[in-house]
Amino acid sequence: MAPDQTLRINASTPIGTELEPIKKRALIQLMGSRLWGRFNPNHWDPEYALSTGLSAPIQTGEMNSAYITEMCVNHFGEHLFQNARIVCKYIASTLADEIITTHGIVTEKETVGEGCRIKVDVWCDNELGEKKTVGWVEVTLPN
Amino acid sequence: MTSVNKEQDARELRPLTPIQRAQTREFIRELEHECQTYWDMVDVGDTLCRELHLTPELIILYSDGVEDFNPWYEAWRMNSWQIEGESPFGGAIVPPLLVSHFILSVQFDHTKPFAIGSIHTYHDSKIVAPIKVGATVRITTRAIEKFEKRGRRYVRHEAEVIDVNNGALYFQETRDILSL
Repeated sequence: MAPDQTLRINASTPIGTELEPIKKRALIQLMGSRLWGRFNPNHWDPEYALSTGLSAPIQTGEMNSAYITEMCVNHFGEHLFQNARIVCKYIASTLADEIITTHGIVTEKETVGEGCRIKVDVWCDNELGEKKTVGWVEVTLPN
Repeated sequence: MTSVNKEQDARELRPLTPIQRAQTREFIRELEHECQTYWDMVDVGDTLCRELHLTPELIILYSDGVEDFNPWYEAWRMNSWQIEGESPFGGAIVPPLLVSHFILSVQFDHTKPFAIGSIHTYHDSKIVAPIKVGATVRITTRAIEKFEKRGRRYVRHEAEVIDVNNGALYFQETRDILSL
């Protein structure tokens, strides 16, 4: 399905606008897939994770960054693929089976030569509202 | 919940028969070969680079892992197999942070055993231009800092991704790894 154009943020979108969240379950089979966490059993093996003091395997932080990015592509489309910036800090582990929700809110707008530079604070949390990843995204949109 | 129940719940996340469990333990034993920590593997100034061909199959492996089914990333589709794909830039493009995911395989000497237990903690990524599926990129990393914070050891790298054929700059990143 092509990204929904009605979600698009543009240069006239007001500060305070919230992005439409997306939700994903941290599925252990995906966390441990070859291209993601297979190289480290803490990402997919409960027995190993328990032996290292974790209550369950933990997802790679980069999966949360990918979720945040997916949300941003829904809102910024092609503009996220050029002259954009994504900053993420992984502040807590995402445990297998947690449901992660992404969030974003437009916090700044600045006129620049080719349009409007928009800053969005972004974060991910679990069902209890515990933040896992925090950061911000900057994108330039045409006027 | 007792710790026994908690362990049982955790194991239920990935149910295994005896043969699967034996295969898993064997695989993990191989991963646990003696290895240096990232802290010890890296000196500030170390510069490494590798080339990566961004094949259609690689892109969907990445995207499926995070359940991102945006059609802009599809240059491989079941039944059709390899296709040109469609995006606002013409053919299929790679997800914005895909190349970031492969920097780890460059910034530490990949020919040595991987140090289990290190954690990626931070990235500051600049997406300069879209990358077409099928491109071959060169990822270059440089260790710029090693520091300790609240008793933990971090290694900071800068990375750059360019097109091997025309030198176009696609992506830049600063990232931290918490080392054992």
